[in-house]
Amino acid sequence: MDVTITVNGKERSAAVPPETTLLTMLRTNLGLTGAKLGCDVGDCGACTVLVDGEPVNACLMLAAQVDGREVVTIEGLSGFQTLSPLQEMFDLFSSFQCGFCAPGMIISAKALLDKNSSPTVAEVREALAGNLCRCTGYTKIIDAVMEVGARTAAGAERA
Amino acid sequence: MRPFDYLAPQSVEDAVAALAENSPDARALAGGTDLLVDLKHETASAGLLVDLTRIAECRGIEESADGLRFGSLATHTEIMESELVRKYAPSMIDAARTVGAVQTRNLGTLGGNLVTCVPSLDSGPVLVALDAQVTIAGIGGRRRMPLTEFFVGPRKTALEKGEILVDIIIPRANLGKPCSFRKFGLRKGQALALVNVAAAARVLDGRIAGARIALGAVAPTVIRAREAEALLDGEAPDPTLIAKAAEIAVTEAKPIDDFRASAAYRCELIRALTGRVLNEAIEQAAR
Repeated sequence: MDVTITVNGKERSAAVPPETTLLTMLRTNLGLTGAKLGCDVGDCGACTVLVDGEPVNACLMLAAQVDGREVVTIEGLSGFQTLSPLQEMFDLFSSFQCGFCAPGMIISAKALLDKNSSPTVAEVREALAGNLCRCTGYTKIIDAVMEVGARTAAGAERA
Repeated sequence: MRPFDYLAPQSVEDAVAALAENSPDARALAGGTDLLVDLKHETASAGLLVDLTRIAECRGIEESADGLRFGSLATHTEIMESELVRKYAPSMIDAARTVGAVQTRNLGTLGGNLVTCVPSLDSGPVLVALDAQVTIAGIGGRRRMPLTEFFVGPRKTALEKGEILVDIIIPRANLGKPCSFRKFGLRKGQALALVNVAAAARVLDGRIAGARIALGAVAPTVIRAREAEALLDGEAPDPTLIAKAAEIAVTEAKPIDDFRASAAYRCELIRALTGRVLNEAIEQAAR
C-alpha cells in the first residue's frame, strides 16, 4: 500500500506491505536511520519520534496509521553542520556513552520542552521514563535537559 | 510480523461488518501497544487488521446525557489532559499517569486497556469503583453492560467474535463522587502493578454511603470487595472501621505468587493501599 507522510517538513511516500511499522518505513524505505530499533516492543524508547508533535514508539505504529500525518525524527532537529540547543547540551555534558538511546532521549526531551520550556527535574524524569539508557548515564542526560530549560528561561533560543 | 491485510474503516458499522466478514481471522487494532507486540511475538495472529483509529464515534471525551463518556479510543494522555475528567473523575487521571510511559500513553487507549484485560490493568479499578458501563457493538446491534460484567477473566472479556468496544461511561450520578486510586509497582515508570486499588464513597449526614472498593492485579480480573463495602455503608467514618474494612478486603482477594512478588506481600499491599484510598476518598467526601 502507498503511504505518504510529512517527515521533517518534507512529503515522503513509499509503497510498503501493511505489516510495515513506521520505524521500518523510516529506516528502510526512507533511509532515515536516526530512530533506532531496540526492543521492538515499546519498552526502550530508542525508536521515539514525534507524530503530530507527540512522542510515540515508531515500532508500535503501522506506517499505514501515519498516512497523511506529520513526523519529526532526530534528523529534523538540526541542519547538516549545526546542532539544536538540546544536542549542544547533550554534547557539552557528555550525556552519552554508546549513543544508541540518544535519538530517542533527545526527541522525548524536545517533546517535553516544546510544551514546558523550564521543567522541574521530576518533570524531566517523568518525560524520559520511557527511554532506557543501558550505559546508566541518566544523571548527565537529565542535567543537559535542565540546562536547556535554564538557558531558555534566561532568554536563549528554545529547544 | 507475518503479513496481514489492513483496513481503516470510518464507522463502527463498517468496522464490525469487516470483522464479521473476515472472522475468525480478523483482529481489531486500537493503540497497538498490546496487539502489535503479540503479533511480533507470534502470541497472536491475524489475516486482517481492522484499524479502529479513524472512527470518529470512538474518539474523544465528552459529557453526555448519561454521564461522562470516553470514546474507546481516548488515549491515556487525552485522559490526563482532559478538563472534563479533571472536573468529574480526577482519580482517572491519577490512574492514567501510572500507565507505561509517555510514548505508550500517547498511543495506548482506554478501550484497548480494558479489552486486553490483563488482571493488572490500571484503568480498571477507578472505573469499577465509579460503576462504569460499557457499550459494545457487533453486526447484531449494540448492547450496554456494567464494566464488572465486561471483565470475564485474564485476557477474557464479554466481547464476542467480531464485536468492538465503542465507549465507556461513568454514570451521571457518580460524576464528582469522591474516589482515590493507588498503585504499587516495582518501579515508578514502566512497571506493572503488583496491586492497584480504587475506593469511592460519599458521606451523607455523617454516614458513609455508596462505598466501593475495587482491587486490581490480585484476582483473575478487577474485583469489588463487596463484604468490605457492606461493612462501611451506613456507618460513621472511623479509623478502626476503615482498618477493619481493609482487613476484610484482603480476604476477598486471591493474589498469586510470581516472580514480581509473593502472595503474602501482595496481601500486605492490599491492606495498606485499601486503607489509604478509603481514607482519601472519605476525606474528599467530608470536604
